[in-house]
Amino acid sequence: MRRELTLTDAALDEAALVRARTAPAGMGAVVTFAGLVRGSEAGAAIRALEYEAFRAMAERQFHLLFDALAERWPAVESVRLVHRLGVVAVGEASLWVEVVAPHRAEAFAAGQWLIDEMKRVVPIWKRAVA
Amino acid sequence: MKVTVLLWSYFRERAGAARFELELPAGATLGDALRETCRRAPALEAFRAAMLTAVGVDYQRPDHPLREGDEVSLFPPVQGG
Repeated sequence: MRRELTLTDAALDEAALVRARTAPAGMGAVVTFAGLVRGSEAGAAIRALEYEAFRAMAERQFHLLFDALAERWPAVESVRLVHRLGVVAVGEASLWVEVVAPHRAEAFAAGQWLIDEMKRVVPIWKRAVA
Repeated sequence: MKVTVLLWSYFRERAGAARFELELPAGATLGDALRETCRRAPALEAFRAAMLTAVGVDYQRPDHPLREGDEVSLFPPVQGG
């Protein structure tokens, strides 16, 4: 399975990510997900979220998840994941995930699983910027 | 032996420090480093139930044996996405 992980302070350019997509013949499903910063956190209005990562461990944990994903859904051809760090304004994307697979069932399932697991084990934290 | 404890996210503010350098006896475990850190920064006690613990870049449990120069990380539940 091809994998591409980017942890970056730079704004997320979804159009550029889509343009860079490669899907070999036989790959009939591309699922992408963008997570946007909401305008409120715990009921209070916010301007942005500031993300912090323990970068070396985050990279390690993401790759362990990619390994597990490849084992669980062997047909998945590629995963690309971008997570913003630093200050991300309301309405901007903090997370972008793409899964390419032969069929939609495994693409949706693998993408959902990956994001759920990320939220459980990858050392990234956020704080509200009022 | 010497080990370094790194604190992440709001643990830094609660502890008033980003890291501690500990001198522990041979045979010490991650749990020993955790106890010593909480002794130096008692504010962390309140977060122990949900605290996540790692050595290097891997999660480890309190009975994990430490080695000279290990980097222990303590942090609250993660919040990516």
